[in-house]
Amino acid sequence: MTSPLLEVKNLYKSFGGNGGLFRAGPRAHVVKDVSFDIARGETYGLVGESGSGKSTIGRTVLRLLEPDSGKVRFDGQEVTALSGADLRRLRRRMQIIFQDPFSSLDPRVRVGEVLAQPIRLHRLREGAAVEARVDELLETTGLSSHHKLRYPHEFSGGQRQRIAIARALAVEPDLIVCDEAVSALDVSIQAQILNLLARLRDDLGMSYMFISHDMAVVRHISDRVGVLYAGRLVETGEVSDVFESPSHPYTRMLLAATPSLSGRSPDAEQKIHGSPPSPFEQINGCAFASRCSFATARCTSDSPDLDAFEIRTHRAACWHADDLPDMTLAGVAGDAAMSPAFRKRMELLRRAHDAVAR
Amino acid sequence: MEKIIVQSDLPVAPTGAAPSRSVPDMAREVLTIRGLSVGFGSFDVLDRIDLTVNAGELVCVVGESGSGKSMTALATIGLTPNEARVSADRMTFDGQELLSLGEAGMRALRGNRMAMIFQEPMTSLNPVMTIGAQICEPLRQHRGVSAAAAREKALAMLRRVQIPAPEARFDQYPHQLSGGLRQRVMIAMALVCQPRLLIADEPTTALDVTIQKQILRLVDELRHEMETSVLFITHDLAVVSEIADRIAVIYAGRIVEEGTRDEIFNDPQHPYTLSLFSALPRPEDKGRALASIRGQVPMPGAMPEGCRFAPRCLFAIERCRVERPPLKELDTKTHRTACWRAPLEDSVA
Repeated sequence: MTSPLLEVKNLYKSFGGNGGLFRAGPRAHVVKDVSFDIARGETYGLVGESGSGKSTIGRTVLRLLEPDSGKVRFDGQEVTALSGADLRRLRRRMQIIFQDPFSSLDPRVRVGEVLAQPIRLHRLREGAAVEARVDELLETTGLSSHHKLRYPHEFSGGQRQRIAIARALAVEPDLIVCDEAVSALDVSIQAQILNLLARLRDDLGMSYMFISHDMAVVRHISDRVGVLYAGRLVETGEVSDVFESPSHPYTRMLLAATPSLSGRSPDAEQKIHGSPPSPFEQINGCAFASRCSFATARCTSDSPDLDAFEIRTHRAACWHADDLPDMTLAGVAGDAAMSPAFRKRMELLRRAHDAVAR
Repeated sequence: MEKIIVQSDLPVAPTGAAPSRSVPDMAREVLTIRGLSVGFGSFDVLDRIDLTVNAGELVCVVGESGSGKSMTALATIGLTPNEARVSADRMTFDGQELLSLGEAGMRALRGNRMAMIFQEPMTSLNPVMTIGAQICEPLRQHRGVSAAAAREKALAMLRRVQIPAPEARFDQYPHQLSGGLRQRVMIAMALVCQPRLLIADEPTTALDVTIQKQILRLVDELRHEMETSVLFITHDLAVVSEIADRIAVIYAGRIVEEGTRDEIFNDPQHPYTLSLFSALPRPEDKGRALASIRGQVPMPGAMPEGCRFAPRCLFAIERCRVERPPLKELDTKTHRTACWRAPLEDSVA
């Protein structure tokens, strides 16, 4: 077995506290003991709600933030130990796409220059070859070469996200961190960008760390997934395992809360309540226990690790993962739960779509 | 059908003509919009929209950015930008013609018999006023309630929207609350005068899914309790699958399909409605490309002739590009679509 492209080991990150400008406040513990790895060509989804620590993990992996402790290894190299030119060289191979492409693109720089800069900076092409590469990038991402002379504000949200993707591709990375990359887009544009990301990954063999709060999107694009709650990974595994037999009560709550086309799932209705704890709070035991309908005395005193439940690669940090009752989720049923007319028309649309795509 | 009006524990609004309850049509239709257009300069962003919200109904307007869905909401509550041209054949709310009401009349209505909640509560709550004062304001303003009575009512409302420790929250400011709690405060404020119509413009889009679910449930419970009709604006069909009574799908300023929740979900007809469904990743799509729509919503100044969806439609024929399809009834009175090719299985080989 080849070594993974990215290895994250026991990562911790906190903010605030003694470093504060005016006062020594409490520290927010945002990422706690997170470990996972991503293979070459693999997409690892990180799901969680606001404050779960998912974006902080993405940024710490790229060393846009310094971890408190823990290790990040990229292609065998210790990211956390690098500095200067070595770190810059490594960063070329790891890129990030943000939720809002407008705030991550310089409004005064034309798109052609946005794409040419990183190519020149990393000396990937020279002279006229830079221009040719920019054209190629625009075409790959569904834009065209006449867009080069335009400024970011002249583009729609979807097109701006294509520019952000083209810029990430410009340096030929091995890993792209997609931080809520499709969350701000309209559903039809979101579908276009998801298709683009999937095609690029398959064509170029890249890996993605796909950070999102949207369960349906993560399920669609990821090979494996990690579910974060209050800074900790509470469940991880193959997408099919986590989504079809969710083994942490929080994953179940997320799935039950995800809007489903087939309407009410009465089973799940009453179980969604409360909100995640504050990162300033010191929690004994499982952080989810106060919202969990399966919690026992053990859960509030003794914090379960990810290996509390383990079947091959599927792991969950729950003392009761083995005895959770069966759960019927409308979202999992998919089209089977929809009417024959719905399925027939979706099939017509699918056929027409595939005929055009071919 | 006679509508039973539950007696509110509040004094009745002193302003405005009391709507006639004797006309059965009026009692049933809380909001009637016919031929509503909104334009800026030479562009129309809404092109002759018809929309009806019946008593106690939750009607959902679904569309993407630039479809005109938010403009429909703003025109209804009289908050379109100053430079907007608003025209309609008819726009009646509770028996009153809205367009001839004037600013003073609309002010007496807003927050009183018609209220609105927005996507980002932080930008619509006043950052320098306590939460309690903001919830009391519509009561003091519209109902002339005493400060003590308003406080009591506001606290009851905070309790009803399930804000923990309402007495303590009453004196707090919006920035001291989480996004989910702020949206609950917005709902408390909007519903404190027991409006006939609540307009909700993407109220859960900025929220996490577990919070979204709680807010949707709350809106659904409260509209039944208070017999409030709801006009719910969203871009996400899945969000309303559980609470919508009727749905109107809007594209580029026109309604392309409308029907009951079941008609839209079980028998979607318009290719744009189908595309909205297919854009949501379903388990079936794992490992394949989503059947996405090409291109993007047209700009207001560059609306295509004929059906406005035609340039992006996988089923468009020549007729679609030249002739505007009317919104016509299908098998039932409630289900209508504007497509020359519906039903698709009969026209697509």
